Amino acid sequence: MREITYSEALREALRQEMQRDERVFIIGEDVGIYGGAFGVTRGLFKEFGEERVIDTPISELGIAGAITGAALTGMRPVGEIMFMDFMTLASEQLVNQAAKIRFMFGGNATLPFVMRTPAGSGTGAAAQHSQSLENWFVHIPGLKVVMPSTPYDAKGLLIASIRDDNPVIFIEHKLLYKIKGPVPEEPYTIPLSTSEVKRSGQDLTVVATSVMVKRSLEAAAQLAAEGIEVEVVDPRTLKPLDAEPIIRSVMKTGRVLIVHEACKTGGYGGELAALIAESEAFDYLEAPIVRLAGRDMPIPYNRTLEYHAVPQVENIVAKARELAQGRI
Amino acid sequence: MAIPVIMPKLEMAQETATIVEWLRQEGEAVEKGEPLLVVETDKITVDIEAPASGILAGVRAEPADIVPVTEIIAYLLEPGEAATPEMAATAVPLPPPPAVQTAPALAKTRATPAARRLARERDVELRTVTGSGPRGRVQAADVQTSPITPERPAPAAEVIPLQGIRRTSAERLAASYQGVPHVYFTMRVDMGEFEKARASLNASAQRAAAPHVSVTALLVKAVAWALQRHPWLNSTLRGTEIHLLPEINVGVAVALEEGLIVPVVQHADLKSVSEIARRVNELVARAREGRLAPADVAGGTFTLSNLGPFGIEQFTAIINPPQVAILAVGATRPAALVSPEGQIVIRPVLRMTLAADHRVVDGALAAHFLAELREVLENPTLLLW
Repeated sequence: MREITYSEALREALRQEMQRDERVFIIGEDVGIYGGAFGVTRGLFKEFGEERVIDTPISELGIAGAITGAALTGMRPVGEIMFMDFMTLASEQLVNQAAKIRFMFGGNATLPFVMRTPAGSGTGAAAQHSQSLENWFVHIPGLKVVMPSTPYDAKGLLIASIRDDNPVIFIEHKLLYKIKGPVPEEPYTIPLSTSEVKRSGQDLTVVATSVMVKRSLEAAAQLAAEGIEVEVVDPRTLKPLDAEPIIRSVMKTGRVLIVHEACKTGGYGGELAALIAESEAFDYLEAPIVRLAGRDMPIPYNRTLEYHAVPQVENIVAKARELAQGRI
Repeated sequence: MAIPVIMPKLEMAQETATIVEWLRQEGEAVEKGEPLLVVETDKITVDIEAPASGILAGVRAEPADIVPVTEIIAYLLEPGEAATPEMAATAVPLPPPPAVQTAPALAKTRATPAARRLARERDVELRTVTGSGPRGRVQAADVQTSPITPERPAPAAEVIPLQGIRRTSAERLAASYQGVPHVYFTMRVDMGEFEKARASLNASAQRAAAPHVSVTALLVKAVAWALQRHPWLNSTLRGTEIHLLPEINVGVAVALEEGLIVPVVQHADLKSVSEIARRVNELVARAREGRLAPADVAGGTFTLSNLGPFGIEQFTAIINPPQVAILAVGATRPAALVSPEGQIVIRPVLRMTLAADHRVVDGALAAHFLAELREVLENPTLLLW
């Protein structure tokens, strides 16, 4: 199969959905002529014109309000927030309006929109351009939260998100845009709420999200050389979560390490840990449930400090090894 | 000039040593190289030689004191040299090491959820499992490799030595049961006529002040009668020969507290019912009093075991070698029988089971013997034959 980048896979998903359904349009800051801050929408302005690839003023709340209103009138908009950090500005429309409307109208209104946004550190963009705020939205009933980790998942999940009748917060990662992977040319969907075992192993389960899936797979490859077989599970959709593959995996291995980039306190790992502890996997645990997550601090500008602010491959290797060897 | 004696460092990681004893008293002379004291590290006990010749003085550490290495523990003075006040200062031995502080034991055992689940499934008491995990935590693998332990120790049994009669019968019964191929045959007997005859005999006995005729006594007579007609049941196997025995001596199994004993009615075939009754009564009484003579239990050629008085309806017995058969008799109980006319009638019924040594007694032979015995029990007048 042909290999393209995560960024190209997203663009292909957008193009194919816009070709298939004229209600699909793109709106955001610099998404048009410039092609998006990370180049995801490059070329789409030329192909689909200014009516379907709309540049906005610098107003995230405006973008969120526009896609909410457009979705209510029957369009299927895809908004883009340049950095996830600025989701704070869009939150009123997303949290207080979009998430509530379908419920408050007794199911008589649907909001088929996607809000795309890149999260994560690693680019030297400092504290206001590097956050991973997924758990804010996970906490809000009425929003779906999707976090693809591979080019293949990015395309299939974005198409599925566009076709979904609910507001979807679609969280990309800046460091994943350039990575390549096999992606089919034809349109396809990956159903939302399907977790995937990205690597099988019997010694330890690592549940990771977004770029941490990639790092966990690298860690697993290193650990395999030591004879430690790590199973890596990627939830892909954080909400609603497909918990079954995670629980099944933990029941198999008895040990689980949860890895995410977002700050540990109040992060998604706490939710996963609680879910595992509440499940039948509890009786199969051979060690405490362990989280490896971002430090509880703003992402530093200094590249060395930034590197150490979030889990890296060597941290995952060390923690997984400790856990697999029964030292935790 | 005074030479200090210091606590030597004997091992790389050694920090202290314990004084075991001084081999010289204060004021005594010692030559360089002579053993001066004995110290003990956590690994060894060793003699420490005098570092110089001199008079031992200013001993600062007593036996059992724990002293840091390189500490001065005494001095060696030249003859005539006086001890200085500093020398007299007593070394401050280290306080004995505190008892190892263990964290207060939690009532709960540290164990993973998986280990707890396994322990439940396998009925293992977690407290008894040694944990291999961090902080002694019991892991699933520890439970898997642990033997299944009972909740509490089994209460001690009361121990009774196997001796005397019980030991003899245990050995003989085990040898017989293991060595003799037993084969069993059961037959029902209508005891109506037998009971009538016994009642009639006992009426006579009462008038003549003769012994009471028990079921067992009359059964002995009937068995002897049947054995006369089936000598193979009254035989013994000796190597490759079957010896048909010239006498019919019927043993009667008697249960005693100390074990099973089988006194013998000699020549049962030649004795009258009254004689047999007297003999059986006497043997049973003597057995219960423990006054049986060796001759009373010798020479049996066939055994009768009657558990009828205890309410047993049917059972099998183990042959008493060198005999080849034993008859196990149950209680006589009213039971429904089909009469020759095809009517269901209620009759007093006894079940008797013959155990025979199959090397000597074949099924057909056993059947003939039992049929003959039933015949005489159902028609006791045949005893007059």
